[in-house]
Amino acid sequence: MLIEFDQAVVSTPQAEVLRGVSVTLAERRIGIVGPNGAGKSTMARLVNGLVVPSSGSVRVDGLDTRQDLKAVRARVGFVFQNPENQIVFPIVREDLAFGLKRLAPDRQQREARIDSQLARLGVGHLADRSSHTLSGGERQLVALAAVLVMEPALIVFDEPTTQLDLRNRNRVRAAIDGLPHDAIVVSHDLELLEDFDRVLVVRDGTIAADDTPAAALRWYREHCG
Amino acid sequence: MMEPLYVTGDTPLHRLPAWGKLLALLVAGAGLFVLRDPLWLAFAFGFSVVLVWSTGVAAAAVWRQVRGLLWVLLAVALFTGWFQGPLEALAVVLRVAAMVGLALAVTLATRTSDLIAVCEKALRPLERTGLVDAEKVALALALTLRFVPEIWRNFQEIREAQAARGLGANPVALIVPLIVLTLKRAQEVSEAIDARSV
Repeated sequence: MLIEFDQAVVSTPQAEVLRGVSVTLAERRIGIVGPNGAGKSTMARLVNGLVVPSSGSVRVDGLDTRQDLKAVRARVGFVFQNPENQIVFPIVREDLAFGLKRLAPDRQQREARIDSQLARLGVGHLADRSSHTLSGGERQLVALAAVLVMEPALIVFDEPTTQLDLRNRNRVRAAIDGLPHDAIVVSHDLELLEDFDRVLVVRDGTIAADDTPAAALRWYREHCG
Repeated sequence: MMEPLYVTGDTPLHRLPAWGKLLALLVAGAGLFVLRDPLWLAFAFGFSVVLVWSTGVAAAAVWRQVRGLLWVLLAVALFTGWFQGPLEALAVVLRVAAMVGLALAVTLATRTSDLIAVCEKALRPLERTGLVDAEKVALALALTLRFVPEIWRNFQEIREAQAARGLGANPVALIVPLIVLTLKRAQEVSEAIDARSV
């Protein structure tokens, strides 16, 4: 999937969060790191159209996130840092079905899709569980499954392992590694990004480094550590 | 995140269609106002208890749901007893308790999504008037159900945090962070719904 940032600026009344970012992303696994408040999450949100640029543009497979929002969102899934925000319905199966109604009007087809995505992430046994009884890692995997049922081509993860303990972090990491989808991962978990194809370092609203994971993470440790 | 009332199961009540249960609840609710005799109302209350029990829900979970209501029932009983006598007070309390029991049985044995689907279907004919968007109303209902227990949990957490700071009796110290937290969470959930392309 091709993502093109063209002089993308994001401003709020308080500050300029992104300052004219221009970059083209086409790799399968892309990591974004940077200090808190640097603009990483804003950059990730631009890809899904959750944030639209104040000036400049962001295009996903040629579709402008401002003009073709619906088509962009159908292609780009988004997994949030806090899965509690993402889970709307109390039962896992119900939550995954939410949003699928239009894509798969047939109930059996819908159920099959839900079961297959939960099984893919190794959490098929959670289908009929209450989401509030799940562990942090299980919740994050359910949130990911809820994105996967919509069959996006690209998934953006905004700090998916930040709130997790080591075991759950490894589960989520394995799940991300196993996905055939393109992925953009915003993370402070540098180890997670080591095997990626490309890593961007965002600092003060600009891309300060853009390289292979080894080189970009070295730069990040030296300049932002 | 919503703490569900629904109990997973395969009881006869679970197997009934959601629309049937809601319709029966509507009819029974109206019927309870026709009944005046405390004996019949006691029978209705007993029946609702049996229905709740038949869903397989743990007694502790039911207690958590209904304990707050006991104070309301007590107040209603005292008020009615004072003005209309003890027999009428008994009838009112039994009527309310039976209605709550029946409603609880329905929610325990029916998925939220099924309840919302029924509401959506029921509202569809009104869409022709152009005044109602059934899908949006159903989503609003789902979100309301989601947020009620969460707001209550947030309230308790803030109360504990403020009590730890010695601000337990200050209503402003409770309400302001609760409103801010609720609005922030509402914003985050709406973003998540948007991101899911719903």
